[in-house]
Amino acid sequence: MQPDFYTLTWTDLIVSLVFIAFAIFLIKQWKLDLEKTLLIATFRTFVQLTLMGYVLTWFFGREHWLFMLTLLIIMIIIASYEGTRRQKDEIPKFFMAMLVSLLTSTLLILGTILLFILDVKPWFSPYAAIPIGGMIIGNGLNSASLTANRFVSELKHREGEIETLLALGATPKLAIYDAMKASIHAALIPNINAMMTVGLVQIPGVMTGQILAGIDPIIAVRYQIMIMYMWFTTATLANMIMLAIVYRQFFTSNMQLRSELLREST
Amino acid sequence: MNDQVLFDFQNVSFSVGDVDILKGLNFHLKQAEFLAVLGPSGAGKSTLLRLFNLLASPTGGDLTYRGQPLQNDIRTLRQNVGYLFQTPAIFNGSIKENLLIAGRWDTTIANTLDHELKQYLDQVELFNIPLTRNARELSGGEKQRLALARVLINKPQVLLLDEPTSSLDPKLSRSIMDLVKRVQKNLDLTIVAVSHDHELMRRYAQRIILLNAGEITAMGSFGELDDLNAFDMFTDLDRGD
Repeated sequence: MQPDFYTLTWTDLIVSLVFIAFAIFLIKQWKLDLEKTLLIATFRTFVQLTLMGYVLTWFFGREHWLFMLTLLIIMIIIASYEGTRRQKDEIPKFFMAMLVSLLTSTLLILGTILLFILDVKPWFSPYAAIPIGGMIIGNGLNSASLTANRFVSELKHREGEIETLLALGATPKLAIYDAMKASIHAALIPNINAMMTVGLVQIPGVMTGQILAGIDPIIAVRYQIMIMYMWFTTATLANMIMLAIVYRQFFTSNMQLRSELLREST
Repeated sequence: MNDQVLFDFQNVSFSVGDVDILKGLNFHLKQAEFLAVLGPSGAGKSTLLRLFNLLASPTGGDLTYRGQPLQNDIRTLRQNVGYLFQTPAIFNGSIKENLLIAGRWDTTIANTLDHELKQYLDQVELFNIPLTRNARELSGGEKQRLALARVLINKPQVLLLDEPTSSLDPKLSRSIMDLVKRVQKNLDLTIVAVSHDHELMRRYAQRIILLNAGEITAMGSFGELDDLNAFDMFTDLDRGD
């Protein structure tokens, strides 16, 4: 018989700490020196997600578009900061590039989903907007960070090619086209691979969660398909907007490559 | 050689932060002339060369091309003023793809026919090499010739050479420079070549600028500079002083 849903109590959650205890036992056996870090990570996972639950509950109780928009913008600002912090190379105006790319892609894709696909009523219902928005922002952040890292590596690697193209009369955009293409490819291929293998070797998290919560697998699958499509478009859009802003920072107004930025960021 | 001035340097300087790389340069470049810029490492020769097609901008003074500021039309300037780098960047792909690289934005170049491409290869004495061959498999000298052909497809009026033979042996260096001289004669090109090898340039350049620590220390023909013992600095360097 199919259960309605499985409830996870606080006691159940404490019992699940047995996994961490087992991991610590294994880590100790192999003397990996990760016990302390794992304990901190375990504590942070618990505190951060619990707090998030309370924040979401508070927001879910206030169905107003302004609340929803404020929370999304705060999430985007935090994601842009996190993306800038993760960036190992110095890129001028990178925070702004992340902010604009995440804001644009989130508003465009989330808006399409809420208004035209799920037809959520009211459209700003936090039950749909916040979790889907969170997924969009998270995926956009990961993909844009990866692309930016790769883009700077490509610029370093292709400095001679870029100057050659500029010297032949190329615009900066034409001169860095190959670097842009390679970095977007590198970031999107994991998304494409995930789309290729989904359902064959793994059951994705959202679908698992929905099935555990008692949703019909056929319905859960539809959500998952929409999410896969959404992820890919988010990544593509966020990467393109971010790079359109970032590549300009590497050139002067006289179409010269700012090689000093590539030296500084080694 | 006619007397039309192409580039005019008026008190041109270039600095990075507080460091002066080039200081108050005054000279001009006339059409169809072969100018060699000589000097020791770190003299600012390559930086000076980059100013000609605005790969770097002067931080002081006035620099004009045919009486106009360089930044008026940067893309046309760069098509007219070709640059051959010390180490040629060869793109992943065939010889044909490398030759047609500027076809990405120039439809005339994109429409160049195979037999025309072979004429460019003949011009740089890369005879009987298939256009389909992987360009990265070419030898150092062949790569430099291919890079020269790639610049010539733009039909430049000026050619900038940044130590184009520094990584080649003396025999190959002479053969590349002989080729450059022939191409100059055939196409009526103006050439600026940067080198630390004054003996090599003696065979080709009509006028020399000696650069040291960012300043012009002497300018004139080899004969004039020999009379001034201007090349003693190289002898000192050769001795390791």
